[in-house]
Amino acid sequence: MDATLVIYALYLAAIYALMAIGISLVWSSIGMVNMAYGATFAVAGYAAYFAADSIAPAIRSWSTGVDGMVLLAVLTVMAGMIAGALFGILVYLVAFLPIHDKPNFAVRSLIVTLAINLAAVQALLFAFGPQQKALPRIFGVGRFNLLGTPMRLDQAITILTTIVLLGLVLLWLRISRRGLEIRAVMQNSEGAALCGISTRWTALPVMMLTGSLAGLAAVLLSQSIFVNPSAGTTPLIKGLTIALLGGLGSVPGAVLGAILVGFLEAITGIIPFLGQRYVLVVQFAFIVLVLLIRPRGLGGLLDETRE
Amino acid sequence: MMRADKPAASYAKVGRRPDEVTLKPDGGQLWHRWRPPFSRRHWLAWRGRYNPKSLQRERLLVDKRPLWWTLGLGGLLIAVPFLSDQFVNIAAIFCIFAAINVIWTLIVGAAGIFSLATMAVVGLSAYAAAAANVYLGLPWPLMMPVGAAVGLIFGLLLALPSTRLDGLYYALLTLGIAEICRVSISQIKALAPSNSSINGVASFIPSAWHLQRPGLLLGFAGAFVLLLCALLVFRLVNTERLGLLLQTAREDEAFAEAVGIDYRRARWLVFVLASSALGAIGAFYAMFYRSISLAVFSLDQLLLLFAMIVIGGLGRSEGAVLGTAIVVLIDKGLIGLGPLRIIIVTAVMIIVALTAREGLTGIKAQFQAFRNRKKSERRAARTEKGGEVMPEEATEISDKQLIYRRLFDKRLRDALKSSITPDLIAEHRAKPLGQHSDALDRLLNYFRREEMPDKYAILRVGPLRSCSYRVMALSGRAGHPPRLVDDKLYPTLDEAYHAVFLLRINDLLAS
Repeated sequence: MDATLVIYALYLAAIYALMAIGISLVWSSIGMVNMAYGATFAVAGYAAYFAADSIAPAIRSWSTGVDGMVLLAVLTVMAGMIAGALFGILVYLVAFLPIHDKPNFAVRSLIVTLAINLAAVQALLFAFGPQQKALPRIFGVGRFNLLGTPMRLDQAITILTTIVLLGLVLLWLRISRRGLEIRAVMQNSEGAALCGISTRWTALPVMMLTGSLAGLAAVLLSQSIFVNPSAGTTPLIKGLTIALLGGLGSVPGAVLGAILVGFLEAITGIIPFLGQRYVLVVQFAFIVLVLLIRPRGLGGLLDETRE
Repeated sequence: MMRADKPAASYAKVGRRPDEVTLKPDGGQLWHRWRPPFSRRHWLAWRGRYNPKSLQRERLLVDKRPLWWTLGLGGLLIAVPFLSDQFVNIAAIFCIFAAINVIWTLIVGAAGIFSLATMAVVGLSAYAAAAANVYLGLPWPLMMPVGAAVGLIFGLLLALPSTRLDGLYYALLTLGIAEICRVSISQIKALAPSNSSINGVASFIPSAWHLQRPGLLLGFAGAFVLLLCALLVFRLVNTERLGLLLQTAREDEAFAEAVGIDYRRARWLVFVLASSALGAIGAFYAMFYRSISLAVFSLDQLLLLFAMIVIGGLGRSEGAVLGTAIVVLIDKGLIGLGPLRIIIVTAVMIIVALTAREGLTGIKAQFQAFRNRKKSERRAARTEKGGEVMPEEATEISDKQLIYRRLFDKRLRDALKSSITPDLIAEHRAKPLGQHSDALDRLLNYFRREEMPDKYAILRVGPLRSCSYRVMALSGRAGHPPRLVDDKLYPTLDEAYHAVFLLRINDLLAS
């Protein structure tokens, strides 16, 4: 295995981890399977595209050097994350707030988020058509050598950005007051409610946070694929499978699952008789195997201890 | 002989549902039930009773769903020959999807296995049956048994992990298997050379009639029979022994296990049976379209089917059929709207999921529960307002007169409290002993009727000529002296009377 492959695998793992952790967090804190995550991804991708499209000329006229590129990159990522957070609020308002204390919430919220996903994809199709939009290469296209291994600049920056931002999020969950509340709700929502932690006011930052993670993933992944209305479907399915592989609700499990699946995908892609076409099949076969051996996923001891 | 009759007299129009149609059977018909031959079951759920008001014997249909089924399906059967070609086709597609959904409901609702491999089973069997027909020359009547056999084998494979994994994990697994099926079939070049689809499949519709009016009608007839068979399978599995075992397991798994029900085996059996039925439907699907393509495995198709069973209500056959009717009408009937129709479907989905707990067919039960809750809330409010006696206390009191006496007393006090005004008090101060207004009279009469304990009395203090008065309260018990209320001295008797009056008003307002 050469170093380029490792970098590519880590690049995939970074993006999958963003999606999987988002789904996992939502499930464990508010008990909802967020099927609208794919739509969040697509909407954020479009928002980032339009933001970059409208501000790029102004920035280019201001500066064509490194500072201009950094500014464009930061603004695009911000636009994607803000759009993701806003879509997270929408999902919160439609799928969580009206029914979170009603019977059958898990199934009903799954249905509603699925419907939001379908509707948003169709609405994007309706508004912008099926054409694919290419985000500008905000991280540049160059290569550089790190300790003798050639690396693509955008992949390296993606890995770094993901590690930094995920680290910040996990740190925030660990040290801030709001993070403490979220973790309390994750452990025992009834107990948290008895201690005066409102489920409603905890769910809102969770949805915004996970929405902005999806937005970040959208901007990062759009460096190598195009933005189109159904762009979110594959990341959604992969994020969901990785979240389940890691055991729903377990952040370390999700990270481990993302790394495993990223490497699996990178390796499957270069094996001659398998190739890109079989990536999904190999992934599913792997996950089926893991679930048959460990029915609750890699880190899925949380559910059992909760019971 | 029976005749439909409403209760004759108007006094019989009392009760929860006075306008419900009931039959009034004659003597010979009183206990008569129709049974299917060689069984002890009844066709319809009749119940006999005496009308509590008119005291006449009557029969009423407790479960009216068979009537709705007959009306709906019979109406469809009668209406289809008069529809345009497009709508005949839509009706046939509705029947096929409804059959798939009814069987899927059996898996999800009755067996409680959240499988998303429905369309994978259908598609795989359809491919197998079509390949057997096209490449091996199998005649079309044998395609459905082949499809059922393939479905059975596939179902056996799928059922293996179903007892080990739960809920979402199994759903994901089946989703993955569906994807694996799609990709594998697209890669087998020998199976489907052109565009991964098999064309030219033989069918029960003669090829000369293909896409002609008689062919469409025949296709609809076949699909309708398919739907009836699916409903029969649902009925036979869900309401017979297997269904009862599964219902026990759904209500309480530990209890079911304790009484010796092997619910895992029952679930497994239902799953395999349903997969086999889905396989037969798959073969029909290939025959109906005379071809089979990879679109059968697509995620969009699966999500649309999921929308159907969700809108109707998970776990009921009528829900599956109703949801299918709605979604197929929107999806195929309004085809001119383009992508908007998916948005309409999702809007219906969101509205149903947000408002109805169990889909459209659960609305009735939900409304009844809501009405009962409101009713008991109102009852509780009444008890709180009028009742000195709380319901739990009322069961402890054997003399029910006492309860009503206290209820009456509470209402009387409420009425009297509202009549107390500064004018009234001024009137009493002016003339404590006489010629009172009606309101003051009522108040004083109420005070006079009060019980002996804590009734007030006036004590004269000092010699008769230069005496003053004090207020005291009686103990109400023989041998126990009255106690002084306070140490105020009143120079005249009228002032003492008025002081007693004020004390009593104070007590009344504080109660």
